[in-house]
Amino acid sequence: MQKSQLFWGGGTPRVYILGGAQTDFERNWTKEGKGVIALLREVLTDALTNVNMTCDQLEELKSENRIACFVGNFIAEKYIEQGHLGALLTEAHPVFYGMPSARYEAACASGSVALDAAVTKIRAGDCDVAIVVGFELMKTVDARTGGDFLGRAAFYEREGRGIDFPFPSLFGKLADAFLEKYALKEERLMDALAKISSANYENGKRNPMAQTRKWFMNEDQARSRGSETNMMVANRLAVSDCSQVTDGAAVVVLVSERYARKQTKALPLLKGFGHRVAPMRFDKKMLESRGSEYILPWTRRAVLDAYEKSGLTVEEIDFFETHDCFTSSEFAAISAFGITEPGKEYEAVEDGRIWFHGEKPINPSGGLIGCGHPVGASGVRMMLDLYKQIAGKAGGYQVPDVKNGMMLNIGGSATTNYVFIVGRDGEM
Amino acid sequence: MTISTVTVLGANGAMGKNVSAIFASFGNAKVYMMARTLEQAEEAADQACYAVKAGAIKKNCIPVDYSVLEECVKKSDLVFESVKEDLEIKASVTRRVADCAGKETIFASGTSGLSLTALAECFPEELRKNYMGIHMFNPPYNMPLCELIATKYTDRGLYEAVWKYIKEVLRRTPVKVKDSPAFLGNRIGFQFINEAMQYADLLQDSGGIDYIDAILGPFTGRNLPPLATTDFVGLDVHKAIVDNLYENTDDYARETFRLPGYVQKRIEAGELGSKTGAGLYQTKIDVEGRKKRFVFDIQAENYREKMRYVFPFAEHMVSLLREGRYQEAFDGLVKNHSLEARLCTEFLLKYILYSLNTVYLVGENVHAADDVMAAGFNWCPPLAMIDAFSGKDRLEGLVKERLLPSRLKDMDIERLMNYVEPSEYDYRRFLRAKY
Repeated sequence: MQKSQLFWGGGTPRVYILGGAQTDFERNWTKEGKGVIALLREVLTDALTNVNMTCDQLEELKSENRIACFVGNFIAEKYIEQGHLGALLTEAHPVFYGMPSARYEAACASGSVALDAAVTKIRAGDCDVAIVVGFELMKTVDARTGGDFLGRAAFYEREGRGIDFPFPSLFGKLADAFLEKYALKEERLMDALAKISSANYENGKRNPMAQTRKWFMNEDQARSRGSETNMMVANRLAVSDCSQVTDGAAVVVLVSERYARKQTKALPLLKGFGHRVAPMRFDKKMLESRGSEYILPWTRRAVLDAYEKSGLTVEEIDFFETHDCFTSSEFAAISAFGITEPGKEYEAVEDGRIWFHGEKPINPSGGLIGCGHPVGASGVRMMLDLYKQIAGKAGGYQVPDVKNGMMLNIGGSATTNYVFIVGRDGEM
Repeated sequence: MTISTVTVLGANGAMGKNVSAIFASFGNAKVYMMARTLEQAEEAADQACYAVKAGAIKKNCIPVDYSVLEECVKKSDLVFESVKEDLEIKASVTRRVADCAGKETIFASGTSGLSLTALAECFPEELRKNYMGIHMFNPPYNMPLCELIATKYTDRGLYEAVWKYIKEVLRRTPVKVKDSPAFLGNRIGFQFINEAMQYADLLQDSGGIDYIDAILGPFTGRNLPPLATTDFVGLDVHKAIVDNLYENTDDYARETFRLPGYVQKRIEAGELGSKTGAGLYQTKIDVEGRKKRFVFDIQAENYREKMRYVFPFAEHMVSLLREGRYQEAFDGLVKNHSLEARLCTEFLLKYILYSLNTVYLVGENVHAADDVMAAGFNWCPPLAMIDAFSGKDRLEGLVKERLLPSRLKDMDIERLMNYVEPSEYDYRRFLRAKY
């Protein structure tokens, strides 16, 4: 059997990515005086323009019941006091009247769970075209209030309520776990984390949609934790270790093989996925992982699932988009991807393998630290970046000659773990 | 091009410390920050870190006074002059630099309006090729525009290399402009602002300053209304720019650079804008500790409470922009024939036309006008504004319908329309759903 036939476990239907769009993550929609309808209208207009899909075509697909919408969002009920987000698309444009549409939520992995639902519908033969939208408007509240909202992605009663910035604190504990489990020198770890931060900012400068593209950061600044311009946030992590508070949306349009075959160009193919859920509470995660060589065994498992489904190995993955909500989560992803052995992640940081021009670049887009992290949009934004890289449309941040890319999108403290592999289709 | 050491003269000025911070951070250059006293230089070095939010650049910022000028210049790859905007002062410090300069050192002036050619002539002939203008906008960390001005003496290869350095290393938006009054960005921007000031005078019965600002508010593609903007810049700075343009330009818009009498009077009274606590506007704290905004009433010649004008066209535009319905918002503007809506449309059309006219005279290509207005003013750039008006054809129709025939003749509208190209900017983000 040819290797490519392994995708999706053999003869099951294939799913392709037609294209999409993201908003400029630098924008502050509250400052512009605009709300969620403007955000959705803009990103949907841009995405449908990019994939050359007209209203007439959408109407036709709708009349045949071959199209559906999937909205990923974490917590609009808090940030903008709005629920029922699948139906909300009808406020953006009347073409959505009558289209099946629902909201999907898994904290910061909400975008991926929306993608997953879309993929499943296409594989089941229920539709040919799936519009996947991820969004979050986070600049409606101050940082502390926002941090508290996000605490609901942890077990709020135990890990969130009354705690300032619950997530920096949890991901600071993840950094602690590396020191304990692998007897890593503190200086080596913190230095690696500073390098990860500055590399993501550096990558963001190549991305015209990145939130931090005009900001200054370098390794020295990232290392100066606790200074006036790089204040500590919680538990060994400073501002430079954290991803951004971002307003933004991303859309990808997924299509069936039948639809893809009608296109003039070969489309990037979804080759594999993994979805695993770890214990909700961070301390339980750590307790459970004692017997494993990995600190986040379920993250690793989700990656392995994707490799198995795609028939690919880490050697065949040319770049990665990871969930660097904090520098420590990118650090953990290095071994989860299989780039190094667990406990040796620092090697890939120190030898530059994961930098933009390295052998296994992570986050050419700038990731959550450089590009930005509108939580419900991040999974969709990563998928869009896999598409752009494989289709050769990443412009200034294009990694040359890429055949396959992997994304890891996590929700909570690496609780929900979603992995997708997108690559060139050898058969089209 | 490698620039590892820079000397900034006048580093304690507002621009001096910001420019030093840009070289010290993005450029990772060692910067001799030179001020009249060491104390001033030390304070500026501290503040430079905050300008780019990075304490780590402190080690690159070396405070010095003028006693070590010769030594610093000799060690520098680039010398940036940012002293007082006065030809005599600039010329005298430039001559001092010329006396000790090496043949390869690059010299730049941050002047916003003086003739660079005249300043270049302070150098002996063989060094003039290394001299150019690097005009940044305030604050440069947020406003990445960097106008790059060559004189007739400037070495073209060096000019290109500096352009590349500013773009790729300093991560600015460099724009090549001719040595001309106020260069490109300020000429376009202050034409708009000064004409708005003149209309405030003309329409003082309707409210004047805050009335005009309510017509040209953030919903027309800017952060702040024009007169509030210049109040923030400083009326003295405003005067210097428009006087220069009035004296030294001769295009169709020359009369719009004439400073209105009421502004001159504010300046004479020492009320220069937010930096002196009062200017065109004034913010006062009431007995309950709430901020209250006052405005100068041109007719009554005193401050009164700022009014909240309700114009149906503006209400309509803002409510559509809030939902991202941009085309409908502009259709509504064009279809509304109230005095205010017509004035608003006219100002936006004139802004586009003057940008096209000026970029032809001063810029390298038409996109330079977009770059300067987006990256230097954060205004909806002119070519993008054409997109907001649904394109060139509709713009041309509107211009012919709305502007006076005599004005159109002066402008040579057919010629201007030929310059139009699709914008590289997205107009949507600039159009705020705000008053």
